[in-house]
Amino acid sequence: MSTPTTFWRLAGMSYTQYVTRAATALRNGLKEPAKTQAMRNEALSYNSATWAGGKAGSKKPVQVLSEAGL
Amino acid sequence: MAQAGAARGMATEKQIFNQIQSTKNIKKITSSMKMVSAAKLKGDETRLELAKPFNEWTNALCGKPVHLDDLENITYEELPQKTLIVPITSDKGLCGGVNSFISRSVRDAIGKINAQGKECDVVIIGDKGRSQMSRSFPEKILRTATDIQAPGNFNLAAALSAELTAAGAMNYDAVMIVYNSYVNAAVYHQYYKVIKPMAVEGEGESMVEYEFEPDVKSEIMGDLYEYMLTSQIYYCFMDGAAAEQSSRMTAMENASKNAGEMIDTLTLQYNRARQARITTELIEIISGASALEG
Repeated sequence: MSTPTTFWRLAGMSYTQYVTRAATALRNGLKEPAKTQAMRNEALSYNSATWAGGKAGSKKPVQVLSEAGL
Repeated sequence: MAQAGAARGMATEKQIFNQIQSTKNIKKITSSMKMVSAAKLKGDETRLELAKPFNEWTNALCGKPVHLDDLENITYEELPQKTLIVPITSDKGLCGGVNSFISRSVRDAIGKINAQGKECDVVIIGDKGRSQMSRSFPEKILRTATDIQAPGNFNLAAALSAELTAAGAMNYDAVMIVYNSYVNAAVYHQYYKVIKPMAVEGEGESMVEYEFEPDVKSEIMGDLYEYMLTSQIYYCFMDGAAAEQSSRMTAMENASKNAGEMIDTLTLQYNRARQARITTELIEIISGASALEG
């Protein structure tokens, strides 16, 4: 892959990270009661486990998008 | 008497009474679970209705989802050399057959894909799928994502697609999502979708048709593929969640109905046992009384 030209790729973000970050910025622009309701749309939580050779590794909790896929 | 009944191996009146009580409790629990599922289904249906138009554009680039109705007729011949299979299952149980259908389809797919000389690996979403599939093909599993907090949203889909990328999704020729699709409160179907990256000829060729940032076609296609994968995962997850909830509602309704039937049969047995006891007591009293007289 040739060197990226967009600023977010150069900063190490993937496209989905960039897009969801932009969505957060949009939600932050809302006024108060709508804002907390919209922020609820962002919450995520799950456990990720990497498998190798048929054996599961330890479960890592993921609460924020930046922790995913590590 | 009670001892005679127990000695003969029949359930005594007391035991039947206890059985009836516990079955009544179970019936209460399952019918309340059914109502909770019905309420949650409303929310999941709304989310699915919103996700459908959001994801509509990917159908032009991905082709139609294939209905897994009769596993014998599905050949998976259109899949390329290396496929990453992503089954979407639930974390909680008591939801009917949703997860076992998916596990069976994936097991069947892996067998057929390997028979064609192609490769495949699996990234499992959902705890129930993990426990079922880790028994059949643990060596094929790359990652699992479990204990997902409901309800899902686009951020979750973005995180899951980041997990896929970390598992190497960009090195595979296609990603195949296997999921349940919600039709209505009584019906759900299994589908699989194949998502392939777009081919771009020429490195560094710039996008002249539209003014776009980034300007390089291969970069745009890479971003588009990433976004398409996330959008597809989002839609399939919403679909799977609605299907799981409707299946749980049906399963709990059947359980309550069966519990009700059991209670009816047991009540008849109980009454028979009670009457037998009263009859034997009467016989004892009368024979005792006539023995005193005579």
